[in-house]
Amino acid sequence: MSKSLQLKEEGNRHFQAGDYIGADSLYSKAIIADPKNPALYTNRAMARLKLNHWDSVIADCETCLSLSPNNMKAHYYLAQAQLSLRDYDAALSNALEAHRLCAANNDKSLAAVTSIVLRCKKERWADREKKRLREERELEDRMMDLLRKDRDEMLAAVAPDDEAEKKAVEEEAEQRMTVLRNVFEAAREQNQNKREVPEWAIDDISFNVMVDPVITKTGKSYERASIMEHLRRHPSDPLTRDPLTPADLRPNLALRQACEEFLEKNGWAADW
Amino acid sequence: MATGMRNKRVAKERQKIDKFGLPPGIELVEGNDLKEWLFDIRVLDSNPIYDGNIFRLKFVFSDTYPIEPPEVTFIERPNRPIPIHPHIYSNGIICLDLLGNQGWSPVQSAESVCMSIQSMLTSNTKNERPPGDEEFVRGNKQRPRDIEFLYHDNTV
Repeated sequence: MSKSLQLKEEGNRHFQAGDYIGADSLYSKAIIADPKNPALYTNRAMARLKLNHWDSVIADCETCLSLSPNNMKAHYYLAQAQLSLRDYDAALSNALEAHRLCAANNDKSLAAVTSIVLRCKKERWADREKKRLREERELEDRMMDLLRKDRDEMLAAVAPDDEAEKKAVEEEAEQRMTVLRNVFEAAREQNQNKREVPEWAIDDISFNVMVDPVITKTGKSYERASIMEHLRRHPSDPLTRDPLTPADLRPNLALRQACEEFLEKNGWAADW
Repeated sequence: MATGMRNKRVAKERQKIDKFGLPPGIELVEGNDLKEWLFDIRVLDSNPIYDGNIFRLKFVFSDTYPIEPPEVTFIERPNRPIPIHPHIYSNGIICLDLLGNQGWSPVQSAESVCMSIQSMLTSNTKNERPPGDEEFVRGNKQRPRDIEFLYHDNTV
């Protein structure tokens, strides 16, 4: 066995034992001995994920991808590191790429990768939602200030002894501010209320919103990761128990797009 | 890689129950743990064998649920006897194809299993235990889902 593979196996033992710092340094030595082996970079990235060293995870994954562009693990670890760094768009696109590679190669990590895709969608939505709410609140405050300023200017123009006119101006301003507050309040409430996941979006095995629905002969669709997990043990249709193999599954593209659009607007549903 | 499907799936079944309730005669007694639930079930129609009785079901969800079936048994408590039925042993083990590795399907749920067991009781007319009950109960060390049940009487 080559020196670099020896170091790698020793690194794996340290990793298994939970010594991620030790594993990191052994993988580094292995890389010095053989800088062209993509697996050494993903192994080191895995140790560095455990150590929360996000930037070095990203560097390792990128090196790995330059050596081996379709490396599923590199995309998968990259997505996790980018998610931790709140780079949501990049994280989602790497998670989807890892998912595509898993599905194409019947990789057993499909279930784990599917949950990362859902997590990316949820966190990206939550981040946008937070920004949107903050912007709305800022706008509300600014509009309020303008109404107050407007009122003050009008008050300044009223003759000092005309109490009736002053009162009318104040009442009108108060009325406008109430309407403005109600409009923003109603918008906020409407957002909170429609938290229902439609049945068609839910996989009957994992009960999650589907990311990659596949359809069986019965016309029923399941999440690819869930039905594959089931078929590994029992090659049968979950509803009819008729024989069913992975080759019988077809992607359900329309449903996939519908689920995607639903999650885009309802990211909370990735973990309802 | 372990698929941590169980926790989310069980949590979601729980949310669904909280939101939509359970069918009549089925009640969730303990459902806060993601690994083990308790239900009380009773027969709705007047079946003289079970009249007025309430039975307690224990569900154990393994890590691989719902790909693998839950382990479902009747447990004996004060006022919660083990129902008499030709497919239910007196130690609470239930002989139901749905709960075996072959008959299980991941689209089943705790709720649908309870309904199947409820209907298995409702339709029963034989006030008897499975053949060989005493011997089985004395000797059994296996987990229920690993037992190869012989379906002595498929008319039940």
